[in-house]
Amino acid sequence: MDLNNYLELFIEESKEHVQAINDELLKLEIEPENIDIVNEIFRSAHTLKGMAASMGFDDLASLTHEMENVLDMIRQSELRITEEIMNVVFTCVDLIAKMVDNIEQGGDGTEDVTEIVRKLQSIQNPSIIHDEERVSAQNEAATTKELVIDEFQRSIIQEARKLGNHVYEVYVKLDERCVMKSVRAYMVFQAAEDLGEIIQTDPPVEQIEEDQFGDSFTLLLLSHHDRLKIEAQLTNISEVKAVIVTEKTEQELGNTDKQNHLNPNVTDKPRKGKENQKASETKKKPVTKSIRVDIEKLDRLMNLFSELIIDRGRLEQIARKSQIPDLIETVEHMTRISTDLQGLVLNMRMVPVEQVFNRFPRMVRDLAKDLNKKVQLVVEGAETELDRTVIDEIGDPLVHLLRNALDHGLESTDERIANNKPEEGRILLKAYHSGNHVFIEVVDDGKGINREKVLKKAIERGVISEEESYSLSDQQVYSLIFSSGFSTADKISDISGRGVGLDVVKTKIESLGGTITIDSTPEQGSAFRIQLPLSLSIIYSMLVKVAEEIYAIPFNSIVEITTNSDNEVYTLHGQKVIQFRGQVVPLIELKEVFQVPQVESPKVNQPLYIVIVRKGDQTIGLVTDTVLGQQEIVLKPLGRYLNQLQGISGATILGNGEVALIIDTNQFFNEKG
Amino acid sequence: MVKIIVFKLGEEEYALDIEFVQSIERIQPITRVPNAPSYVKGLMNLRGNVIPIIDLRKKLNIGETNFTDHTRIIISKYEDIELGFIVDQTSDVIDVSRDELEMELSGRMEFDAFGGIVNFSGRLIILLKMEELVKTEVK
Amino acid sequence: MASVLIVDDAAFMRMMLKDILVKNGYEVVGEAVNGADAVEKYRELQPDIVTMDITMPEMDGITAVKNIRAMDPAANIIMCSAMGQQPMVLEAIQAGAKDFVVKPFQADRVMESIKRVLGS
Repeated sequence: MDLNNYLELFIEESKEHVQAINDELLKLEIEPENIDIVNEIFRSAHTLKGMAASMGFDDLASLTHEMENVLDMIRQSELRITEEIMNVVFTCVDLIAKMVDNIEQGGDGTEDVTEIVRKLQSIQNPSIIHDEERVSAQNEAATTKELVIDEFQRSIIQEARKLGNHVYEVYVKLDERCVMKSVRAYMVFQAAEDLGEIIQTDPPVEQIEEDQFGDSFTLLLLSHHDRLKIEAQLTNISEVKAVIVTEKTEQELGNTDKQNHLNPNVTDKPRKGKENQKASETKKKPVTKSIRVDIEKLDRLMNLFSELIIDRGRLEQIARKSQIPDLIETVEHMTRISTDLQGLVLNMRMVPVEQVFNRFPRMVRDLAKDLNKKVQLVVEGAETELDRTVIDEIGDPLVHLLRNALDHGLESTDERIANNKPEEGRILLKAYHSGNHVFIEVVDDGKGINREKVLKKAIERGVISEEESYSLSDQQVYSLIFSSGFSTADKISDISGRGVGLDVVKTKIESLGGTITIDSTPEQGSAFRIQLPLSLSIIYSMLVKVAEEIYAIPFNSIVEITTNSDNEVYTLHGQKVIQFRGQVVPLIELKEVFQVPQVESPKVNQPLYIVIVRKGDQTIGLVTDTVLGQQEIVLKPLGRYLNQLQGISGATILGNGEVALIIDTNQFFNEKG
Repeated sequence: MVKIIVFKLGEEEYALDIEFVQSIERIQPITRVPNAPSYVKGLMNLRGNVIPIIDLRKKLNIGETNFTDHTRIIISKYEDIELGFIVDQTSDVIDVSRDELEMELSGRMEFDAFGGIVNFSGRLIILLKMEELVKTEVK
Repeated sequence: MASVLIVDDAAFMRMMLKDILVKNGYEVVGEAVNGADAVEKYRELQPDIVTMDITMPEMDGITAVKNIRAMDPAANIIMCSAMGQQPMVLEAIQAGAKDFVVKPFQADRVMESIKRVLGS
């Protein structure tokens, strides 16, 4: 079998289980008595073991095997959870994660697990070595024993003979690769009892039940069936390699030894399986049917769909021009269907942000220990969904923000006590949906951002001049910490790195089409708020014309569209403005900022359209010549060659096949506005 | 041996390693990109992909292309960057061995994208360095 | 061609088993991800044979065996167990499972088991 076919699935599922174990371990730390949690962990470890063994990752399999044993003892209440055990298990999970990562990167997942396996074994049984020796000694003893019968059995045999039964000695040899010999033996017993009555076994049935025998065992069977029938029935059991049935005469059974180990109670069923599965069963999870799809296929689907939307736009134009009712009706129907289809396609790419969030509790726990801080991480809105592409990228920035909150945001425990704050710091990680955006916030209840410190450092580093510093609002000061090479920590720590950091976060978020802002109150804490687009690829927009060029303005930033004939244009301090709904709205001439070549002399009395757009609570008006109408457009990235064009966020292809640029309205709001 | 695609900029002959060339296209509508470097002619829709188009003459500081019937766009890809280069005319694809490639050029004529000069049966062809052409000036 | 229902909560294991079975000419008529799902699918699909994982969420394999056998006393069920699950395998056998195979799966062992169970 080519195992590579399964590798991807193996890695994915292994990661899920590692994550599940981590999550449950954290819960277990809080509720060490909760057996349900142990069961969950056990189940994940168990599945991991099975998968690893199947793939031939022996180190991983043996590690998970020992881990499972320890967990089993805990859930059987044979072992009490101690901090030491928790730490060993945590280390195990880290090691497992490391191995899985190694496998993912093309490695063979080997790792030196002897030390940790030894630890796990010594948890299970401090004197494990002696135990093994004892077992093997018993095995030897078992295989050399002779099959002997006592008086009582002899009388049974005699009775049976009178009824026409034969006495058979049945020698059964199991496949040496057989893993659960005792269960195989049980199946042999079961089959034999269908044929007659077992009056004795060698080794004794208790030893067989405990797996304490070699590859073979012998039965004494009373049956009225003939020898071949018995052989055939027993050979048909899996992993039974050989069955030798010999009929015994009375003479051969004559030697009686009263001191031997007797086991007439073969018919007693072996011990019942442990009933501890029940606890985990009661915890119902909704089961939905799903399949896994390669993300590339989804991307291709999305691309093809995008093409379709472009054609749809074109078709709509043709239909409108043609005035053919049937065509118009059909196109309208197609539009409705494709809108539904679009919803579905976009939805398929949506993944709960939980995928990213769920690794944070563990990270925060470890970090808090390293920093010797007490912290409670509260996660809200983990079910909020985001485009898969965003999910893949958002992890690192969030890690950074969380580390920053722990390291720089929260005070040391002593400081907190001195300031009459709860000893335990609180970090809130929250995701929620609003309009066409998803927001993710990292909020701490620490000391807040020190305006003076930030300014001092910014001036030191030449990020701003001293004069500039006086006129900055708090918001503007806070955003300085996103400047490159900025670090507010007095001491450089390993946790948040060496000043590389928040600027990278900002760049990353912006590359995803998002923004990040900071709120902070001295002594009460800080909040970092990330705003991300819900979907990356298809956006509703208004097409506008500036001279002969067509631009798209995303709908979600548009407040309203008006004309200059309805609103008088004033000039304030050299800036053209209009008064709109009681607000003074500065105007941006797209013709000027985009240096649009003038084709002919402007018609004097033609009204100009003003598209009013918003960022936060600020508004500005973009001056255009004509508004062409609303359209769904497919965002096409400009690629690395043309990134960071002033005022442009991307391009799209219009119904006529030409390229139009998408305006990034946010860039027209100046920072000091 | 390297395969190079030879094209004309005015009367001069230039070439690109064919390894980086994806296709040769006729001129299609190009959308101007505001605030971009002057040699960026604009964006073109090439079968659903939006590709930046470079006026190669401008990029190399040897004038500006006037579109004619012979004007072509060489679509190239270097790492993840796809670019189209406007050239006056494409001529042919030729094989050049490494030692036919003259790397020396008098210092006065040296420029960043210079990748060597080929003397191909009397024709002098300048090979351009793709990795230099995909660089944008830091704004 | 015998029809098989594969029951395992790990998609990985299901895929592996399915490959083995399909390569050997069996028809995998369904896959179930837990015991409850298995019982339902068994009722619906009436497969010739079932491969049943033991440790699963919602309803474990042993309970599923009991339920399926209650529905169809002739049901052919093979337990797929990991190492170290003897007591549970035993309980499953007592509950009427016809055979068991131990993970990691070896194709020949799986096939041997299926042939035996279907042959008997």
